[in-house]
Order: sequence, then structure tokens, then C-alpha cells
Amino acid sequence: MSKILIVAEVKNGEIKKNTLELLSFSKTQGIETGVVLIGSEVTELADILAGQGASKVYLADDSSLEIYNTEQYTALVTDALQQSESNQVWLSSSELGRDLCPRLAARHGVGALSDVTQLEVNGDQVTAQRPCMSTKIIQKCQFSKDGLRVITIRSGFFNAEETTPVSANIVSLSIPAGHAKLKVKEVKVEVSDEVELNEASIIVSAGRGVGGAEGCDFVKPLANDLGAAFGASRAVCDAGWLPHKHQVGQTGTMVTPDFYFAMGISGAIQHLAGMSGSKVIVAVNKDPDAPIFKVADYGIVGDLFKAVPVFREEVSKIKD
Amino acid sequence: MEIIVPIKQVPDVALNIKVKDGAVIEEGLSYVISSWDETALEAALQITEDIGGEVTLLTIGPEKAAESLRKGLAMGAHKAIHVKYYDAKQTDSFAYAKILQKVLEGREYDLILAGRQSQDTDAGLTAPMLAEFLDLPQVTNIIRFSNVSNQNMTLYRKGDHATEVLEMELPGVVTVHDTLNEPRLASMRGIMMAKKKPLEEIELEAIGITSEMSGLEGSMTEVLHYDKPESRKEGKNFEGDEKDTVKQALDLLISEAKFLV
Ligand SMILES: Cc1cc2nc3c(=O)[nH]c(=O)nc-3n(C[C@H](O)[C@H](O)[C@H](O)COP(=O)(O)OP(=O)(O)OC[C@H]3O[C@@H](n4cnc5c(N)ncnc54)[C@H](O)[C@@H]3O)c2cc1C
Ligand SMILES: Nc1ncnc2c1ncn2[C@@H]1O[C@H](COP(=O)(O)O)[C@@H](O)[C@H]1O
Repeated sequence: MSKILIVAEVKNGEIKKNTLELLSFSKTQGIETGVVLIGSEVTELADILAGQGASKVYLADDSSLEIYNTEQYTALVTDALQQSESNQVWLSSSELGRDLCPRLAARHGVGALSDVTQLEVNGDQVTAQRPCMSTKIIQKCQFSKDGLRVITIRSGFFNAEETTPVSANIVSLSIPAGHAKLKVKEVKVEVSDEVELNEASIIVSAGRGVGGAEGCDFVKPLANDLGAAFGASRAVCDAGWLPHKHQVGQTGTMVTPDFYFAMGISGAIQHLAGMSGSKVIVAVNKDPDAPIFKVADYGIVGDLFKAVPVFREEVSKIKD
Repeated sequence: MEIIVPIKQVPDVALNIKVKDGAVIEEGLSYVISSWDETALEAALQITEDIGGEVTLLTIGPEKAAESLRKGLAMGAHKAIHVKYYDAKQTDSFAYAKILQKVLEGREYDLILAGRQSQDTDAGLTAPMLAEFLDLPQVTNIIRFSNVSNQNMTLYRKGDHATEVLEMELPGVVTVHDTLNEPRLASMRGIMMAKKKPLEEIELEAIGITSEMSGLEGSMTEVLHYDKPESRKEGKNFEGDEKDTVKQALDLLISEAKFLV
């Protein structure tokens, strides 16, 4: 009998969408699923996880867990795995998941499948699809030995259903010590009300075509109008027009929104690698031969400085 | 400071990559050092230039992987270790991490600086697995470092919602984000000097790696087949005055794609 353990992620006192997606997906598989919930002041979130179908919530609520750290998280998930007798652990392909997954797998003497975009679970048999080689190739792969299955899954591939909280069945975990040789000195949180790239259902992104920091300021209001996240190509971030956290692409954030607007972005392979999984792509570019038009569902050959104001005007009409 | 930089020789993903019958076509591929590993090497070179020490490149790969080691030596690495691995097919990150562990057993080092992920697998698993096998602390995805000494260093990690600043006692394992630096190009002089630098060759058997520990047998996962991603269906392009084209596009966005409805 298969049993799954999902590692929950929390941001600003809420369960992140990527976690809810994993829970919704596990529900469609009809496999008993527990969740390990780690953080500081997170206890009340357990009921949300239960509402989403978590049979048990393995809880570690402690001020030392406010910020992710490899050692405590590895120990806690290991503890929850033993108590729940799960044979699979699912994590999101976030920075937390990317750091924790290999460490956890190695501790259990097994391999892992990372950044999976499609998953088939058949008892102990797990087959997955994952992009590789800058998303130029998709691999189909599987676990070839017995043992724990450790998997990270990209967000945006399963829908998170809305559910109502129910009272959770909580198992409290004891808090392990951190790594003696590693200390978190400080955390530089960029406090902002901006919509985060990997959580957004609409993204408006600026490329070098915006011409400078002022050009970014020209495009950004459209993102605000749409309640969208504001992204950028690496060219924009490298030039210092926007901080690197806005970068979409293979080495920035991988995104899969419902709607992606590329404004003055040529569509280099590394940019496409990070956004070509978007459901609908709209591109504005002066150059009719720009590679972005190869992936765009709606391509506007034209000047973004003329197009953005029309978008804003039309959107405000629709919203009224 | 003794720094180990594990590098992987991979196909250049900037070039066209073709698949046939579920396999990547070898012909026409050109091989390079995985770009994140070059970033790791650049960081290692900067550290040793700053506080002294040596950078050792380490690769597990076929004969031709020696070219990548020579390139890294030309960039400035001091020495290199080539673990000869003739048939790398179906070797996953777990197996590579185990082999790296064996190679490093009994060697002296302060820091292992690796890529966040390799350019062919995009897996991002090997370095933290190695850290666990060696029982060392890890910090992944760093965008900056400071206060490096032979005992410890400060690392800035790009986390999900914040930059985490960590203090790590050495030895430890670090992986780099590609924005950390711009790797240098090898100079003519560097290329000449590289030929004289020590390149140690190791056969798998010599370090006790049996056939059960390599290839598919030593791996925990296997690739069943490779495919091109499904291409997106042909889009619609609009040319002309932006006043008209934007409206036309928006009309379709709303009626076909249910935008904002
Ligand atoms: C290892 C590596 C990793 C990388 N990772 C990433 C990554 O994660 N993300 C990423 O984005 N890039 C990445 N890159 C960089 C990538 O190769 C491109 O250089 C970058 O994406 C180009 O950004 P751009 O499209 O904004 O700029 P450009 O390629 O310069 O394109 C600008 C576009 O704007 C158009 N334009 C100009 N003026 C206007 C106007 N007024 N109106 C409309 N259109 C206009 C032009 O026609 C052009 O197509 C990476 C590169 C490497 C080597
Ligand atoms: N064959 C190899 N030889 C040396 N180092 C490797 C090898 N494979 C992976 N690595 C290291 O591990 C990192 C991550 O690899 P991966 O798990 O494939 O994404 C790479 O950036 C390298 O630093």
C-alpha cells in the first residue's frame, strides 16, 4: 500500500499554492496522504491542510523554524516519514524543495526525481516526466530500485481545489537541533505586496526592449492593473533596471501562469525555458522574426510603448 | 584554502538537440563544461586569488572529458582529477555522488564548490547528496559570499522569499546560482600553462567502484526515453497600428482564452 507524505510550504502565514496543488493531485490518486508542516506559528494552518485531504498533519511549530534550514528540515521530514510509514515524499520544486530533496534522499540512501511536470503513480511504481537540457528535451523516467520515492514537482501543473478547513489530526514532532557548523545570521526579506512570480496566474514581463529602468516603470502599471506579477528577462536584471528576483527563465524563476505577457522580449532559449509552459502567451515585439512569436498564441508586431497604453485603456474598460 | 570543483562535461544546450527513437542523437553535439560549474570555478579562483590556496577540478567522465579539465586548468585551476568513466549512460546523480564520495575519501579539502545543477540533467541533486554522504554542511544556490577564511565563510543564499545570510564552518559544500559571477575566459598564457599542470587519472576499480556501483546498476533512477517537448500550436499574429492590433488581440484573448472573464 502506497502512502504519501507532502512537505508543506508556508509564506506570510498562509499555505502556499504549490502545496495545495500537490494535495489536490494526491487526492485524485486516492492514496492516503499525510502532510508535514514546519515553521513558526503555523499550527492553525493544519486545518487547511486537513480540509485539503491530509489524513494527518505532522507538525513542527517552533521559532527556530521560521527560516528554512537543511538540517532541521531533513531531520523533521525523516521523523514524519518514519511515523507515517510513507513510501513517497512529495515536495515542490521551490528553493526549499531543491535544497531539501537531495539531502533527504541521500539520508535514506535513495535517489530522487526533481522538477517533475507529470507524475504517474501505480502502487510503488512511479513514472515521471521532467524537462532537461534547458527544456529542449523532456525525459520520461522512473525509480529503478525499491525504496523511498523522493520527488519534487513543479507548480502550475495541477489545479488546487478550493476546500473548507476541517479539524486536523495532528501529530507533534519533537524539534531537532540545527547543524552545528551552519548558522543563519540574518534574513533579508524583500518586503513587498508584489504578486510573486511562481504564484501568479497572470505575469507581465519586460525585456530589453523597454530600453531602461523608466521603461520598466512604463510597463509595470499594466501588471498592477491586471493584479499580475511583474517579470523580466535576464537582460533587464543584468542591466540593473530591476532586481534579479524578477527574472523569469531557466536561471530565474520557472513560471507557468495562465497568461504570460512578454513586452520587448526576444525569446532566447533560456527565457523560453522558464515560461513556455504558460497556458496562453501574448507577445509584443517590434521584430516580426523575434523567436518569441514562435511560442506566442497572440503576437503583436509593434512598439510596446504604443501597445501598453492601449492595453491599459482597454483593460480598464473591461473592468468597469 | 583547498577547493574542489566537481565539473561535468555536458552537451552544449545552446545548440540544436535532436532526438530519435527516444534517444538523444549524439552526432552533432558539441561538449562544454556545464555553465554553472564554470561559475563555481570562477568563484573558487577568486577565493584562492584572495586568500591563497589551490583549486582542484574533478570530473567523472569519458576520455574526452579531459578537454574540459584542460579548459578549466587554462582558466586558472591548479590541478585536476579525471575519474575515467567510459560508459556514462544511465548514470544518475545518486551514482555520481557516490563515486565523488569515494574519490574524495582520504583527500584534504576545505570547500567543495559545485554547480546548482548540471546543464544536461537539470537535476540539481548531486552536490547536496555528496554533502550528506560526506556528512558536511551544505548551502545551495548562493548569489554572493564574503568574509572567506580557511575556517569559515559567509554565504548569501537565494531562498524562496528572501536572501538568507549564513555563516558556514568549513569544510562544507556550496552550490552556485549563475548570477554569482561572469566566468573568465582562458588567456593564451593560461592555455600554454595548462599543459604543464598536474592531471591525475583514476580508474574506477582503483578506488573500489565496482560495476554494481556505476551505470544503471549503481543508479536509483532511470531514463526510459527522451522526447522533444510538445510544440505549441500555431499562434495568431497581428500587424499594423497598435490601436487596432491590441484591440483585436484582446478580443480574441477574451473570447477564445477567457481572459479576465
Ligand atoms: C547560462 C545562461 C542562462 C541564462 N538564463 C536566462 C534566464 O533565466 N532568463 C532570461 O531571460 N535570459 C537568460 N539568459 C539570457 C538570454 O540568453 C538572453 O540574452 C536574454 O533573455 C535576452 O533578453 P531580452 O529578450 O530582454 O533582450 P534582447 O534579446 O535584446 O531582446 C530585446 C527585444 O526587444 C525588442 N524591442 C526593442 N524595442 C522594442 C519596442 N519599442 N517595442 C517592442 N519590442 C521592442 C527587440 O526586437 C528584441 O527582440 C541566459 C543566458 C545564459 C548564457
Ligand atoms: N560526472 C560528474 N563529474 C563531476 N561532477 C559532477 C558530475 N555530475 C555532476 N557533478 C556535479 O554536480 C552538480 C549537479 O549535478 P546534477 O545533479 O546532475 O544537476 C554539477 O554542477 C557538478 O558540479
